Amino acid sequence: MNWINWLNTFFTAPARQSGPDAITHRVTEHLALSGEALFYAALLAVPLGLLIGYTGRGAVAVTALTGVARALPTLGLVTLAVLVGGVTDTAILLPLVALAAPPVLVATVEGVRGTDPDLRDAALGIGLTNRQVLWQVCLPNALPTILSGLRTAAVQVIATATVAAYVGLGGLGRYVIDGLATRDFPATLGGALLVVLLAVATQLLFAGLIRYALPRGVRAQRAAGAETARSS
Amino acid sequence: MIRFDGAAKRHPDGTIAVEGLDLDIPAGRTTVLVGPSGCGKTTILRMVNRMVEPTAGRVLLDGTDVSELPAAKLRRGIGYVIQQAGLFPHRRVIDNIATVPYLLGWDRKKARARAAELLELVGLAPELAKRYPFQLSGGQQQRVGVARALAADPPVLLMDEPFSAVDPVVRAGLQDELLRLQAELNKTVLFVTHDIEEAVRLGDQVAVLREHGHIAQLADPHTLLTAPADEGVAAFLGRDRGLRGLGLLPARDVAVRPLTEGSRYNGWELRLDPGGRPTGWVDLGGPAEPHPAPVFHPEVDTLRSALDAAVLSPAGAVVAVDADGRAVGTATREAVLAALTGTRPTGPATADPGPQRPDPQHPEPQRPEARRPDPQRPDGLDERPVSTDGR
Repeated sequence: MNWINWLNTFFTAPARQSGPDAITHRVTEHLALSGEALFYAALLAVPLGLLIGYTGRGAVAVTALTGVARALPTLGLVTLAVLVGGVTDTAILLPLVALAAPPVLVATVEGVRGTDPDLRDAALGIGLTNRQVLWQVCLPNALPTILSGLRTAAVQVIATATVAAYVGLGGLGRYVIDGLATRDFPATLGGALLVVLLAVATQLLFAGLIRYALPRGVRAQRAAGAETARSS
Repeated sequence: MIRFDGAAKRHPDGTIAVEGLDLDIPAGRTTVLVGPSGCGKTTILRMVNRMVEPTAGRVLLDGTDVSELPAAKLRRGIGYVIQQAGLFPHRRVIDNIATVPYLLGWDRKKARARAAELLELVGLAPELAKRYPFQLSGGQQQRVGVARALAADPPVLLMDEPFSAVDPVVRAGLQDELLRLQAELNKTVLFVTHDIEEAVRLGDQVAVLREHGHIAQLADPHTLLTAPADEGVAAFLGRDRGLRGLGLLPARDVAVRPLTEGSRYNGWELRLDPGGRPTGWVDLGGPAEPHPAPVFHPEVDTLRSALDAAVLSPAGAVVAVDADGRAVGTATREAVLAALTGTRPTGPATADPGPQRPDPQHPEPQRPEARRPDPQRPDGLDERPVSTDGR
């Protein structure tokens, strides 16, 4: 079993325990980069999505644009950003934000638009302002959908942040890219495995968040709804 | 008072929802808008709280054009209840009810205390306060919706088919509750429904609408049922409107014979249990097995219930009971019918039971609930129709 030996080699090498190529250091770099990208994507996409979802204006444009954005090759964007701006954090952040923003935007728009029209009507009718309806009614209603969008984005960003290594930046991509370059296959395999583990961990983290960040009433309602759906 | 002054709504695509409506909604009364779907009744209601802006004409609330008031401020002063309740699913019942007080800037404690009062007022148990809306039945949700609308004590209440989505039994309970609340609170209520039964039950005045919000007839329920303005209105009221009109008349004027002289009719004898409650009618010439004895409660029931019981009774007579279900007397079918015209039969009724118009000689109490305020009595709330006994 060759690959088990490879993994053993990878994980036990002294360089992985301390110094700049240590696993903890690379994981931290990777997470910091991904987290930053996700943060900016959310900062951009959530408010915009709330606005578009509430007014209903531009919803068609959102669908079209996100389709286009998903077709953008991240590696191409990274190369372009480096050519234009040089090797900086921004060069890698831009493509990652471009990758993460569309799913968050779509999820936010859909979450807000999915608010029961009767509920919005009643909220306006008893005297909430539009802003209050958006914050107090639509946002809580959209929260689960928004969190699912963030989850999708987070997993994609973590998987894709490996490209940072292409332009000489850190993260788990270093193991993969450097391993390929030096034919150090244990490093490539180990790096890839770490990325997968990180992605799965993120998935689980968000599953927990979605479960526990929901207001109690909505959570219990969903549970009850799921049960009736199952029994019928 | 709410006044519609030539109010009209034309949609951007050119279709007309409401065309030049003039209508006064008197303060402290319940006005019901009833009509087939698409007649513009909901649009009319929504013009009052600016959920719909008229494209022509004005809507005046106590003399002020509503379009001059900021929408949110206006709406906080008007209770609003819709068909699906529209409760916030992520908020507890108590906070749902306290929504408008919160918006008005009341502190949390005061708002919640007020919400707890309302929970009781609409007949819900205090322990429901901490529940979430999805944990309530449809009827309970509607009660919470009504409580929420009343929380800031608005003088005006708009109700848009609030009871249409619940089953008939629950609906009847909610209607009773609304009548009780209205007797206590005296709000200016504008109520929209497509159910004529509900309209005549709840309304002090009923506006029957045709398409484009044209008023086919505006009248009190009794006049509406007995004297429809035209065939269209009559058709909308349904074929048994005469019978349904009996549902507006109290049964207390039915002449009840004491049990001592009236427990045998047409070969049937009434049997009572030791507590004085009727157990059934026994056919004196047949098997000893008693037939069920339909009853009515003169102080509470309507003539419709009394007549229904009389029709069901094998003996052709109906048993009057008190609040505890004890028999107090009996009345023949003829006696029930005679109560329609306010004349009392002396023997077997010969009185002409028809037409169901109020006899001008004997001003008939028209509503068992009788919520029309008496100008002589400032409270005017719980006024009962004067019994013709007292004449």
